[in-house]
Amino acid sequence: MHGVKRTRQTADDIAAKKRREQSKIEEYLALTRDVLSRKKASDWSEDAFNLTTKLLQVNPEFYTVWNYRRNILLRGLFPQRTPEDVNNLLSEDLAMTMTALKAHPKVYWIWNHRRWCLENIPNGPGSQEDGDVAGWKKKCWDRELFVVEKMLDADPRNFHAWNYRRYVLAGMPVPRPETSELAYTKRKIEANFSNFSAWHQRSKVLTSLWSSDKLDKAKSREVEFELIRNAMYTDPDDQSVWMYHRWLIGSGDDQMLLEREISVIQELLDEQPDSKWCMESIVHYKLILIRNHSRSVDVGKLTGDCSTLLSQLQRLDPSRRRRYEEIAKNIDVGPR
Amino acid sequence: MSSKLLIPLHVSYIQKLGESKDDLAYHLTSHLRLNAIYWGLTALCVMGHQEALDREEMIEFVMSCWDDEAGGFGAHPEHDAHLLSTLSAIQILIMQDALDRVDVPRVVSFILSLQQPSGVFAGDSFGEFDTRFLYCAVSALSLLGRLDELDKEKTVGYIERCRNFDGGFGNVVGAESHSGQAFVCVAALAILDRLDVVDTDTLCWWLSERQLPNGGLNGRPEKLEDVCYSFWVLSALSILNKVEWIDANKLSSFILSAQDLETGGIADRPGDMVDVFHTIFGVAGLSILGYPGLVDLDPVYCMPAAVIEAKGLRKGWKALERRPADS
Ligand SMILES: [Zn+2]
Repeated sequence: MHGVKRTRQTADDIAAKKRREQSKIEEYLALTRDVLSRKKASDWSEDAFNLTTKLLQVNPEFYTVWNYRRNILLRGLFPQRTPEDVNNLLSEDLAMTMTALKAHPKVYWIWNHRRWCLENIPNGPGSQEDGDVAGWKKKCWDRELFVVEKMLDADPRNFHAWNYRRYVLAGMPVPRPETSELAYTKRKIEANFSNFSAWHQRSKVLTSLWSSDKLDKAKSREVEFELIRNAMYTDPDDQSVWMYHRWLIGSGDDQMLLEREISVIQELLDEQPDSKWCMESIVHYKLILIRNHSRSVDVGKLTGDCSTLLSQLQRLDPSRRRRYEEIAKNIDVGPR
Repeated sequence: MSSKLLIPLHVSYIQKLGESKDDLAYHLTSHLRLNAIYWGLTALCVMGHQEALDREEMIEFVMSCWDDEAGGFGAHPEHDAHLLSTLSAIQILIMQDALDRVDVPRVVSFILSLQQPSGVFAGDSFGEFDTRFLYCAVSALSLLGRLDELDKEKTVGYIERCRNFDGGFGNVVGAESHSGQAFVCVAALAILDRLDVVDTDTLCWWLSERQLPNGGLNGRPEKLEDVCYSFWVLSALSILNKVEWIDANKLSSFILSAQDLETGGIADRPGDMVDVFHTIFGVAGLSILGYPGLVDLDPVYCMPAAVIEAKGLRKGWKALERRPADS
């Protein structure tokens, strides 16, 4: 149970609630017994199908009943229907799971059933010859993108919805250009810099665009640094931003880039002298300089800077004191 | 607010869970029944009161969840076999020293049949896949002594592809890092002796940043704290020997503040309704933090450490030293 406030009930309240619930429990258990005994008897009828609808509306987490429902479709209903009817049946199921998701946006089983429906949309309405063999599929998958955007409007951090979004984007019969996903994540980030889910997605999309040479890495990385600088200045305590910055820096082979970003962060630190994330990031990047570029940097000075910042961090962020101590100790031992 | 873990009250809370059959919510959660029994039993074991629930009755219930068609355990009699409930069944039977009741070869082939070409596991025949189920499979096979039948390379390969730049793991390839996945992926890698796949410094940095000013831990950056993350995060930290990277006292106080002082049980956060899920993961977190009087919990298997040690399965994790009870 998550986020349900505790309420104190008197013995009378509890007794009254139990009386109220008594008939509901009996009804629910009778429906459950009916459905499970039909399942046991391999009843693949439309009646049974309708009973699973009723039961799943009360309890969308009843995974056994979702399984039974799919078996009814596969073994009982699909074989007797035309592709058009199958398409209609699945569209109805997609509508049903949409209603369920609005009430229960974090139930794995509902998302799972949605995927199954999508994957079982038949070919049609046209044929291979007239070129409209994937017409139904195309329509459904396109609609899914719209649906998932609605879900992410309601909760921009819902990881089920983000996973589903990636799944839809990867499986669409007619793929969308990845650059439009870049625009989408930017919209999400600009609506709220703290949306790490959107930053994460952006890192995945950029990685893919860079590795396929659809985007010039050096140029596009500069655009990202610009975006992140805004976010850093807007809320320097927001860890999503710093994590993304760390990803942008990458392995730290580029000494000039490291030094430039260190000075950008230093400037912010001068303005906000107790910014933990500025200090933490400077330490991290200076340690990379020492590790990767020891011949062309002043190791002694960098080591001293890091030690000073690490002792400041121990005071400023005592919960993670032991981590800072450990890093400081490892510098003393010498660069690795 | 209490600064002490109210063990007798939590024991009686767990004992009463099976008595709420006149409560609608009890019936609406039947799809989690076997998991709930595992959570309750493990919490009792950690609090040193394994005997508080009847052993025979529990074993009979577990066996009544056997799905003979699939060769695994469902969450409740007549429910379909699933990896989540199959692992719970195996864990309960091992804690109750009754594994001889299981048809091991059939369970093993049920588990192995769920591995996908990518290396991940589906939860059941309809194929939702997730690193949670991969962990269930690895843990169950290891507990059954049949890990040698697993394609380890393929399994590890999938976990590796779920690793993100922040050092964490997602539930599928491409997904955002989540504390729950840190537990399942790190624990699975520990069982497979492949912790080399973990970027320890980066992951432990990310994990330590889950602690919020009120002491509680969250599951992802910029999200709210929740008692259940105490276990997910601490488990991974203890497997990687970095529990010290968070403030143990503040986390202990946060967990204790989520207790219900009248009915027993622990909630997701202070003032919320309690449930057995947050009760076990709160108690488990306290055990790893060295809370006085608790029994050691193995963070890899989330079972009593002594049980895992007796099976020769202990890995090199490190919890905080158990503190003596202060008077
Ligand atoms: Zn929780």
